[in-house]
Amino acid sequence: MADGWQGIRISFTSDARYLEALRTVIREATGLAGMTEDDLSDVQLAVTEGCANVIRHCYQGCPDERIDVVLTFLEDQLEVRIDDYGKFVDPKHIKGRDLDDLKPGGLGVHLMRRAMDEVIYEKNGWGGTTLILRKRVKQEQEERKDSNA
Amino acid sequence: MAMQVKREEIEGATVLTVKGSVDITSSPELRGELKAALDRKAPRIVVDMGGVTFVDSSGLATLIEALQKTQAYEGQVLLCNLSQAVLGVFQLANLDGIFQIRPTREAALKE
Repeated sequence: MADGWQGIRISFTSDARYLEALRTVIREATGLAGMTEDDLSDVQLAVTEGCANVIRHCYQGCPDERIDVVLTFLEDQLEVRIDDYGKFVDPKHIKGRDLDDLKPGGLGVHLMRRAMDEVIYEKNGWGGTTLILRKRVKQEQEERKDSNA
Repeated sequence: MAMQVKREEIEGATVLTVKGSVDITSSPELRGELKAALDRKAPRIVVDMGGVTFVDSSGLATLIEALQKTQAYEGQVLLCNLSQAVLGVFQLANLDGIFQIRPTREAALKE
């Protein structure tokens, strides 16, 4: 790319059945970024939750809307941007439930926040929401050093 | 990998053997299999997750719902054979201390 951008762009329609394919791409991509197996699983989970929220809440389950996922490999972190083309959702209205309150729903946002280092919601240029997920790339060597400490 | 669920009765327990991804598309099927056991108040439900490659919040929600329903009639839900990745999701949600998680199916059936 002329601008030096390194990453993967994926556009898909809001059919939840495509999330499995998306996870396969993420597995390969995070492998290329040198992420550990645990971190790779975290990114798969967070991206799945982010896209599932778009499908459920932004597009109300309609399978024909557009979702863009952009993975960018930065020097020491992986950034994932998830763009929807629905209405902007004020981040103040996005919150998970209290974990001590054991009930079936409301876990997705919480899982994203715990799986990633940063979770940011922004209004995008199309009037929808961009969810930005960032995770530091922890090398296998670093992981081993930590586990031996 | 598309989810597959097999339900069988073993040593007085209802055992669900689950394979593949338990996510927004497949969790309704798992919920249906659990409902069949819950409707007849199965005293012990063992969910063997040895073949589960991925679980998301909808999968967790399905299992929480089953746990709460069994608690209402003093039944049990036991999970077994979780991979490190799947166990990690339970840990992120602070559910590893809520569910009875056993390393093997045999250990779960002994309860």
